Amino acid sequence: MEIATVQGEKRQLAGHHGNERLRRRGFVPAVIYGHGQPVEYASVSLHDLRLALDHRAHVVKVLTDGQEEQYLLKGVQYDHLQQTPLHVDLMRVDLTEQVHVKVAIEYRGTPKGCAAGGVLVTILSDLEIECELLNIPESIRIRVDHLELNQTLHVRDVQFPPGIVTKHAADDIVAVVQPPRVHAEAVAGAVVEGAAAVEPEIIGKGPKETEESAGGE
Amino acid sequence: MLMPKRVKHRKCQKGRIRGNASRGNTVAFGDFGLQALEMGRVTARQIEAGRVATSHFLQREGRVYLRIFPHIPISTKPLETRMGKGKGEPEYWAAMVKPGTIIYEIGGVGEDIAKKALLRVAHKLPVKTRFVARRHSV
Repeated sequence: MEIATVQGEKRQLAGHHGNERLRRRGFVPAVIYGHGQPVEYASVSLHDLRLALDHRAHVVKVLTDGQEEQYLLKGVQYDHLQQTPLHVDLMRVDLTEQVHVKVAIEYRGTPKGCAAGGVLVTILSDLEIECELLNIPESIRIRVDHLELNQTLHVRDVQFPPGIVTKHAADDIVAVVQPPRVHAEAVAGAVVEGAAAVEPEIIGKGPKETEESAGGE
Repeated sequence: MLMPKRVKHRKCQKGRIRGNASRGNTVAFGDFGLQALEMGRVTARQIEAGRVATSHFLQREGRVYLRIFPHIPISTKPLETRMGKGKGEPEYWAAMVKPGTIIYEIGGVGEDIAKKALLRVAHKLPVKTRFVARRHSV
């Protein structure tokens, strides 16, 4: 597991305006909690945080005033375009502590069912796991090349590395190879063609009354 | 084309699109998506044109997910009609899109194919868009 190093500093300015000022300087407001100790407010470098997130780091080393401490990235808040981190939650952890994290799934291979015209539909893109802090895998690789058409891969079929326990139910579906969807013009709730001519039913009035009122206006 | 099956009122007021998308702004079903960068109305015809463009391009490969639905009835007045005499008749249906909204998603294909398919869709839409990939949560 990669531990990314992030420049940080203690946060003096709290509140919306203070945080905006921090963001303009290229920092991201952060909150540090855990282990029954009081909550601390800090800020971390946006550039370093982005690098860490791009490398799917779960643990970051924050350098504050020459001191170095390790934290678990517990949550990241993004802007409306899901592009820029706005706030980050850091949790105090010990290196031997069991932690609960989400890890990306990497699907490997092309399912046999795809040759028969099927499509691999991935239901889960991340797996919730519990493991020791230093054992957090970068991703969990799942081979799907054995899947036939209409065959489903469940969580119980996934081979986890030793020391890693999933928090999902064994029956949860990870991926399925489905036959291609014949695009009936109707996706849920849709009516086909002649949209201008056909009017939807009005709730509270029967279909007859709806026609009358449409004609009357 | 898409339109609701049942509505509470035949016509509605125009309204204003304010702010940014705070929901429906993450890739949730597929692997890649097309995200709106500005606000606007996307009509049912445009949504359908985009869907047809992707399904033609993908040739039954992969899966396309529509993340918006045209709920809003847009009414127009007939040509050469004087002002007044009440609101016009509903003409078409549209979806309100805010910056950040994911409009289409694609799953089951590689990034380069998804990018090409969604670029074709982007040309059919009245708003600026960008290609986004699913972000794995922390």
